[in-house]
Amino acid sequence: MKREAGTTGQAVADGRWISGQTRRRLSNHLLAYRFVLPALALYAVFVLWPIVNIFTLSVYDWDGISPVKEWVGLDNFARLLTDPIFWQAFRNNLVWLVLFVPLNVAVGFIVAALLSTRIRGRFIFRLGYFLPVIQASIVTAMIWRWIYAPDGLFNSALGAVGLDDLARGWLGDFTFALPALVVAAFWASFGLSVIIFLAGLQNVDQTLYDAARVDGANSRQLLRHVTIPALRNTITVVVLLQMIAAFQTFDIIWATTQGGPIRETEMLATYMYKRGFQQGEFGQGAAIAVVLGAIILAFSSVYLVMQERGND
Amino acid sequence: MTEVTTATDGHQQRPAARRARRIGDRTLLYVALIGLLGFAVLPLVLAWFTAFKTQAQLLNNPWGLPIPANVDNLIRAWTVGHFDVYFRNSVVITTGSVIGMVVVSSLAGYALGRMSFTGQRLLLVLFLLGLTVPTTAIVIPIYLTVRDFGLLDTAAGVIVAHIATGMPIFIFIMRAFFKTLPSEIDDAARVDGCSELQVFRHVMLPLAKPGLLTVALLEALWSWNNLLLPLVLLPTDANRTLPVGLLFYQGRYSVNYPLASAGVLILSVPIIILFFFFQRHFVAGMTSGAVKG
Repeated sequence: MKREAGTTGQAVADGRWISGQTRRRLSNHLLAYRFVLPALALYAVFVLWPIVNIFTLSVYDWDGISPVKEWVGLDNFARLLTDPIFWQAFRNNLVWLVLFVPLNVAVGFIVAALLSTRIRGRFIFRLGYFLPVIQASIVTAMIWRWIYAPDGLFNSALGAVGLDDLARGWLGDFTFALPALVVAAFWASFGLSVIIFLAGLQNVDQTLYDAARVDGANSRQLLRHVTIPALRNTITVVVLLQMIAAFQTFDIIWATTQGGPIRETEMLATYMYKRGFQQGEFGQGAAIAVVLGAIILAFSSVYLVMQERGND
Repeated sequence: MTEVTTATDGHQQRPAARRARRIGDRTLLYVALIGLLGFAVLPLVLAWFTAFKTQAQLLNNPWGLPIPANVDNLIRAWTVGHFDVYFRNSVVITTGSVIGMVVVSSLAGYALGRMSFTGQRLLLVLFLLGLTVPTTAIVIPIYLTVRDFGLLDTAAGVIVAHIATGMPIFIFIMRAFFKTLPSEIDDAARVDGCSELQVFRHVMLPLAKPGLLTVALLEALWSWNNLLLPLVLLPTDANRTLPVGLLFYQGRYSVNYPLASAGVLILSVPIIILFFFFQRHFVAGMTSGAVKG
């Protein structure tokens, strides 16, 4: 391909239509495209095309197999509006977000702030907190399923301190299943927040602290008036990242309760999966995916704008 | 820092009371940090212990050390539980994803970071779009596309899906990396008569090794651990990866915790080994590139 471009360029250049410089620039453009091509080809076929397709799928009634797709317009979306399970999943996603994000961000921030003071064994703490982060979601799910089981670790611990009355199958409990899984998700993710906040704290200008201390600020005032303002960007970034993660929640639910008991832990992603892949209603599944995608797109656009601003 | 601030804090206190308070504060702090450390590490360690226990040992003392240690669970998981097959599939898919991702993202990152061409901005916007659209939301059409290409139930199908969905973040990481390299280097190589391709292969790529390592490690972590794409794209048991195998396996053996824990061990040990060798790269990569699940 390159040789071809070279010879035609040569021929045209011989006719003095294009200067040598232009020819070199043209071949550089072509070279750049050869570098980008493998990425672009895969990306176009397996990401961009699916992005377009999620919208087209959502206006059809289709089981994923039959050659005939029935065009139904916005019916799939209209059906969602009157679908109580969809609204329950949406509400569960919101409850998940409200429980998970503040817990993750607050603990992540406090721990990072503590670790950045003079702590012995800081290395061990960082390592330990980060260990769950690199575990597969299925590992998190299996470990916590075992902890929460009727004959599991948590009940055994409750028994040891004389609280046998509280023991139950936690993931089968209507009230506690969702918060219990939030704790599991928190376990798997807070270490990352700690690390991100620690990186942010390293960039805080130390002279700010010195100046504040000269002015007689105590540690609480330092936190409020120096650390938190300096880390405002990092805090927003972590909050948004965790919100995006919260709305995508699938693995931990699917590998533990699959949305149960009844619908108590159903999420948008699990409901989409059930509708699309288990019940063969691809149009309905795609409509849920469009809603899910739109919500996350809103969060992540804010995130990208923040990042862009942070880079300037 | 704490020392100084506590001192200013307790101006009017007598020295002994001040010191007592400070020691109390420090103790409380360590108790909290160590408690959280237990919360983070204990579930994992106990699960690993459980992998070496018999059902009776577990029932007797779920918190204790596995003495005597028992490898029957591992052997049974490996043979009867098909974990030998899952393990092999995971290795194939992870290796393919890592190699593909390193090649594709370094090429594209280089072009986007160090060359200028028409349509460059458009490409950046397109990759940015992929960064914001979650894989979960497009998994249905991805499944259909992979099926249309006849790649359903093949390792190749999962590999291309991994590379395509993960590439935006890695392209941006590589692009940022190439941008930090000083332009004098490739200019000098060009003056010496290197072609653009030679500049990339013999000058820039060797310099980009730390960036490539970050890409390789993070992609290894993500493709090894990924659940959703292999779950959707590999319907047959013989083609499943470890996480998907484990998902179905726990459905079959949910009561047998020692056996399930053996599966956990098989899945998490390779990643932990990798992590201990390349800790710094993992942490740096995950904080700079944020996270794309």
